[in-house]
Parts: sequence; structure tokens; C-alpha cells
Amino acid sequence: MPMFPIICRLFATLSVSLALSLPAYAVETLRVLAWPGYADNDLVKNFEKRFDVHVEVSFVSSDDMLREKISANQGGDFDVFAANTAEMQHYISQKLVVPLQLSNIPNTAHQLPRFRNLQAIPGITRHGQVFAIPYTYSEMGLIYDRKQFRKPPTSMAAMWDPRYKGLVLAFDTSSHNFSIASLLLGGSPFQIEDKQFSKVAEHLIALRRNVLTFYTLPEESVRLFRKHSVALLFANYGSQQLKQLRDAGADVGYVIPREGALAWLDCWAITRGVKNQRLAESWINYTLEPSVSEELTRRQGLANTIEASPLIVKSDKLIWLRPVENAQRRAVLWSHIISGDLPEKFLAP
Amino acid sequence: MKFSDHIKLGIGFKFGSLLAAFGILATSLTGYYFYSSSRNMLASATERDLLTSTQVVGRNMKLIIDMIAEDSQLLAAIPVTSNVFNSPDELTAERDKKVLADTFAAMLTAHPEYFQIRLISTSQHGLELVRVDRNGKTLTRVLDANLQEKAHYPYVFDTLRLARGDIYLSDITINHEKGAHSGLNKPTVTVSTPVISSNGKKLGLIVINIDLNGLSRLLKSNLPSTYQLYLSNQWGDFLIHPDATQTFGFDKGKRILIQDSFRPVLSLIHGKGMNVVTNVDEGRQKQDGQVAAFVRLPFGDTIEKRFVILGLSQPLDNITRETTRLGWDTFQIILAFSGLALILSMLVSRIVTGPLNAMVSAINRFSKEHVISTLPLTRNDELGLLSRSFHDMQTQIMAHLSELNENRKALDHLTRHDTLTGLPNRRMFFDRLEHAIASSRRSGKHLAVLFVDLDRFKEINDTFGHAVGDKVLTNVAILLKSSVREVDTVARLGGDEFVILIDMIDDPQHVTTIVQKLHNLFQRALQIDGRDMHVYASIGAGIFPRDGKDANELMQNADQSMYNSKKDGGNTSSFHAFRSEETS
Repeated sequence: MPMFPIICRLFATLSVSLALSLPAYAVETLRVLAWPGYADNDLVKNFEKRFDVHVEVSFVSSDDMLREKISANQGGDFDVFAANTAEMQHYISQKLVVPLQLSNIPNTAHQLPRFRNLQAIPGITRHGQVFAIPYTYSEMGLIYDRKQFRKPPTSMAAMWDPRYKGLVLAFDTSSHNFSIASLLLGGSPFQIEDKQFSKVAEHLIALRRNVLTFYTLPEESVRLFRKHSVALLFANYGSQQLKQLRDAGADVGYVIPREGALAWLDCWAITRGVKNQRLAESWINYTLEPSVSEELTRRQGLANTIEASPLIVKSDKLIWLRPVENAQRRAVLWSHIISGDLPEKFLAP
Repeated sequence: MKFSDHIKLGIGFKFGSLLAAFGILATSLTGYYFYSSSRNMLASATERDLLTSTQVVGRNMKLIIDMIAEDSQLLAAIPVTSNVFNSPDELTAERDKKVLADTFAAMLTAHPEYFQIRLISTSQHGLELVRVDRNGKTLTRVLDANLQEKAHYPYVFDTLRLARGDIYLSDITINHEKGAHSGLNKPTVTVSTPVISSNGKKLGLIVINIDLNGLSRLLKSNLPSTYQLYLSNQWGDFLIHPDATQTFGFDKGKRILIQDSFRPVLSLIHGKGMNVVTNVDEGRQKQDGQVAAFVRLPFGDTIEKRFVILGLSQPLDNITRETTRLGWDTFQIILAFSGLALILSMLVSRIVTGPLNAMVSAINRFSKEHVISTLPLTRNDELGLLSRSFHDMQTQIMAHLSELNENRKALDHLTRHDTLTGLPNRRMFFDRLEHAIASSRRSGKHLAVLFVDLDRFKEINDTFGHAVGDKVLTNVAILLKSSVREVDTVARLGGDEFVILIDMIDDPQHVTTIVQKLHNLFQRALQIDGRDMHVYASIGAGIFPRDGKDANELMQNADQSMYNSKKDGGNTSSFHAFRSEETS
């Protein structure tokens, strides 16, 4: 190849890349992918002012959408994002996230003890490296009618109690219901063994025969709770749901059962394609400032990792969500169960 | 002329421009007002139409649901339904179920929007007893082990709380109930009614499952194709949306709410009104070029106060197109009327400035030629008044002018005539003399100057007084005037001294005759105040060119002749050159 065209091409490439990178040098941009409510405009503005950068916030509304956005371009489209513990394993396995420098996130020191022991939180560390920092969470406790329960229920098993037949509201979901049923049967909530599946499914059929119904929307649960004098409710929406019921005038209590409450925990992680990791870590550190974290609780009703939730005591067990052994299998079985199929139709005897 | 032209242009142009500007302004303002009010009317008419359509669609929906309710009531009431529960043996029970299944199938055939019809038992956790599903084009009766327990569904436990004939309408959801039917994973709503035995025992319920898409097609069938249908539940979750991916978000773990797309709908959700129309202008910016109307419709039984929100939207393009057309029409009208205003103002300006211009030219003519021109005197307006005033002024000026003329003529006469006798005075006499000499020089004819001086006139004055003296002078003047030709000039030079110019004499001898004649006249007594008075005169004559080559010389010589006569004792006459011919 003659020398001249090579030089020409080199020069052209150089000038194009120079032109493209110029605006980035002008004002540095941090690209944040988060859930609605995690990065409100005013809070973002404060960060921009303090670090003299531009923050570009995008929102997602489902785990699938999040996976899609982070996977595209090998994480090169965003610097920092929030995902729950069950999802983090996927990003770590796919090497889409990078280990964090905790020394750059000093605010982690002010987090509640529950969130400081990162090794105890499944799915966010691997080989001693930390890949995500908890930001907010919501646990799925039990809401009970104070008039029908002299003493608060202590276990999820109360949902199966024939005394409350037709007075229990469960949530219409495959994953959590299998987790709970498995947990109650003494198994692992997220890893059900093959031979245990029929037993767990049968246990869920028993639940189906004992509940009033399986709800989907929090508003729906409020309506059903009041209309049918419901005694017990599986609070998939946690404290938000408790507030709705109390606002609607229900005399209800909230309890974390002794076997523990399933809880999702959203954590910040940094993509492999991060432009300025130091800046991305500053963002995480910023969201852990009391003024930002407490604002999240005030505005969204979600618990933060800085101040203790009034609904949870230290000893309460929270079971952070993890990937399940086979979500597809659970979904198929659940569709049989919720549709009312008789056990003999889909379960091996 | 240039000056008056400039004035004409000024008045006409200014007046016309003002009128035209006023006309155009008025037209434009009216046009704009018309445009904006029509635009608002158009917008509100569209909004009203849309709202009415939405209400009609809402009523249709209620009618359709009522009809489905009647179907379910019919199925619950027919004897074979109750028989299924009271069969004496398995065989009869199977036969009754078969009959009922056939009935269900017949009804499903008649109503393509029905997905499924079931008879559900109160017992066995709500086990289905008879179930017919639509599966594509075929109908399938679901049997035995494939029948399901449904007690945990609201449409079962809520229906079983109702009395005979009451209807339960479920929430609109995605149907995830497994089965061999087209309705799986499709938006659906169920209509159900309890089956109650004659002794009041709740045996079960009839459930009709309806295809929401089929319902939506039915509702849309009578609407213009540009209309789009929306339906949400009482919390705002979209159930029907032109973009199907925007519906049943809650089923996929997210909320896609109508109030996020159409902010005003929030008031319906909060129960602050039964209908709302999203503003057109608001829509232009926010709702992707749509204007939409929403109504809150009761859904299900009234105790629960459940409701749905039904909405229709229409692209703003239609309205925008109408508005644009309206704007263009208005613009054309404004243009046409502005043109008309321009023409009219030109005409009016002419009508007004025409008489003004006529008056200007009349004034010009008057000042130049002192002629009173015709003016629009008969007009009843200000112009008529102005014309009349101007005419009066003209007439007055004319009167003054003629009076001045008269005065000037009188003055002129005074300067050239003797006030006592009315005869030309010295000045006039000399004018005439010069004139006569000039023409005499041209014609070669002679002329004569006769000096007539009354003898002893001082005595008359002293004796009889000046009054008599004046009368004497007057009589002498008359005497002298009557004794010469009309063309000859008799003038009084002053005191008792008269002079006569006799022009165009062919023969100088003729002068002698005249002098003689005069002399004879003086020989007669004058009648003064009834008294005879003898007045004599001395006459001297001079003939041009013989007795002088110019007026002065001629006069001097004639005067000299007269003095000669006076020296001779008066009452005589003498000629300058030929004294020998003098008589006594």
C-alpha cells in the first residue's frame, strides 16, 4: 500500500475522533441509567453544580429493559446504573460491570450495618471484589387486620391457616410465591430442587384454595381488603402498600415473619464502558448522602440505607432476592396453579 | 396652476388615505375577530362533538354490556342450568350438562365477541361444571380433568354474594386462565350472575367471558376512522389504546397511566367531574397533535363505585386544516373588503374634494377675472354652506368693487371737469388739445382755439353777489355749449375765462363764422333769476397750425388775441394773425 493514502486516512480518522471528542472535553458528561424517582431533577442539578459536569439521566421501567440497555454496546452507553441484587449476578457474569473502589465512596461508612457487610448481601460481590453498593430496598412483609388477629402473625404459614380461609390476599406472581412456599417447606427460596417442585406446587394449590384471591395492583388489594374484610395480606409492595391501606382507613399492622421477608435491594453499579470511574463513584457517594437518600424515602416511600425503617427492627430477617433456579419453570407451573387446574392435570403423581 | 394642483393632491390624497386606512383597519380587525372567534367556535364545536361522541360510545358500551347481562341472566334462569345441580344420577347429569353446553355453544355462535361461557359450581373450590371455549373458529367443550377451580377469582366470589338476577362485571384484565380458548392472554372482561335454587340456595354461577378487542371493534364500528378509542380502569391503567403496547402495563409489571398522557383526566379519576376535554391548544403541544374527550362511566355494581374512563381522540390535523382554511378565507375576505374600502374611499374623497376643488377654481377665476362661477349652492351640507358664504362674499366684493369704480370715475371726472359748470377744466382741455393737434398734424386739417373772457364779471359779482355770478357762469357755459358742435370742446379755464376747441376745420374761414355767431349770442340778455342781464365777452381766436406750432404757442396767441379784444374795450373778438379782419 502506498504511503500517501495511509497518511490521509490516518489524518481523517484523527480529525473525526478529535471533533467527536471535543464537546466531551468541554463539559464532562455522566450517563446515569436509573428507575423513576432515583434521580430527580433538582438532586441531579446539585450534583452537576458541585462537580461541574453534565449529568444525562435515562430511566427504565423493567429488569428486561435494563438488561437490554446495559448489554447494548457492552455497557458503553452508560456509566452508572441501578439494578436489584437478583439481577446483579447477570451483569457480573457477563462482565458488564467493574469492581468499585470503596475508598472513593466514603459515605458507605454511614450506611446501616445491614448494608455495610457487603459480603453478606448475595450477588454483589465476587472473588472479594465489590461490584455494587446498596441504595434502596423494599421488603415484602405481612399486613394483618388488627381486629382479626389478637397477636400479630409470626409466620407466612398463616396464609395457609384454614381459620382465615377466604380472608387472605396473596400476590399473583410465580417467583415469589414459589420462594415463599419452598421456604415454608424448609427448602431454599431461590433454589428448589427438581424433586421438590411438585410438593411446592401442591403447597401453592393449597394456598390457592385458602386465599380469597391473588391481587396484582396495590389499589386492587386495598379495595379487596376493605370489601371482603380480609385478615391477612402478603405485602408485595411493602411499606407503600401499608400506607395506602392506612390512608384508606384500615386498622392494620405490619410484620416481618420469622422465616424472613423477601426483599428487593437496588444497588448502584458501574459499567465496563465507564468514561470516568472516579466521577461515577462520586455519583454513588452523592446518592448516599443523607440529604439525597432521605429525600428518596420522603418522595418515593422507599426505604434508604442510611436511616433505619420504622417498620423493621434490627433482628428482622430480610431475604434479598437472588436469581431463581428456573424462572421459566416456576412461571409455567404458576399459570396452571392460578388458572385453577387440578393437581393431577399437571403434577406427576 | 401648479400650486392649486398640489393642493388638490394633498386634500384628496390625505382624505382618501385616511378613509382607506380606516376602512382597511376596520376590515382587518373585524376579520381577525371573526377568525379568532370562529376558530374558537370551531375548536369548541370539535370538543363538544368529540365529547358527545364519547358519551354516545359510553352509552353504546352500556347497552352492549346490558345485552350480555341479559344473556347471562337467561342462561342462569333456564331450568336445565338448575337441573345440572339436582340430577338424580350421573347419566342424567351428563345429559343435562350436554344440553347446557349446546346452549352455550349456540350463544357463542351468535356472539363472536364472547370468548367463553361457563357454569361454575359453588362447591369444590369453584369447580367448572360446564365450559365451552372459543378456539379460533371452532367451539370446544372442556371436559372432566381439564375443568378448573375458580373460587379464588373475584368474578366467582363476588358474584356469589349477589341476589338472583344481579349482574357482576369483573375488572378488565388480561386473561391468564389457561385453557383451550382464544381468550388466553387476551384482554377480557367477564359478566356473571348467580344461579340460585328455588329454595334460595346458591348453587353456582354463569360466567360469560368477553373479548375486549371485539367490544372495542363494536364500539368503534360507528365512529369515523380518524377517531381513536381509549379505555382505562379507575386507576388510569390503559386498557384500550391505539398503540396496543400501551395497554395493561400492570400485567407486565409497570404502570402506563392515562393521566400521564392526558393530564386533565386526573380530575375524573379523583371524581371531580364526569367528563373532560383536553384543550386543543394544550393538545397541540402535549398530546401528539390529538384533541381528546374523556367520560367517567360507572362500571359494575354501584355500591363499589367502580368506574372506567372512556376516551376518544381526534387528530388535530382535521381542525388545523379547517382553521387554516378559515384563516385563508378570512384573509381573502379582508383583502376583498380592503380593496372595496380603497375604492370607496377614493370615491368618497372625490365626492368631498370635488366641490372643494370646484370652489378653489372658482376662487381662482374670481381673483383673476372677477367672474362669479357656478358653485354647489343648493347642497344642504357644510359644503353648501361654504359655497353660499363664498358666493355672498363674492357678491359683496363685486359690489364694493363697482362702488369703488364709481368713486374712481367720479374722482376722475372731478379732476378733469369744472365743478360749477360741468365743463372740462384746463387739464382736460389741454389733453384734448394735444390730442387734436396730434390728429390735425396727421390729417392736415385745421383746428381753432377760442378764448372767451367775460367782460366786467367782477362787477356782476360785486353788485349781485357770487351766487348770481355763478349762475351767470353756468348760463354762459350752456350758451357756449349749445353754440358749438358736439365734437367741439368747451372748457372753463378758471374765473370768467372759457376756452373752446374747434376740431377738424376744413376751412379756417369757418372759424370767423363761429366767432361771429358767438359774438351775436352775447348780444342777447341772459335770464338770471327772472332778470335780464347783459353779459359780454371778449373773444380771441388762434388757428392751428397758422397761429402756433404747438398747444402752448397756440394758446398763448389765442390768449393774446383775447387780450387784444379786451384792450379794445371788450365785447369784441379778435384773431391772432389777421387782426385786419376783426369786427366790432
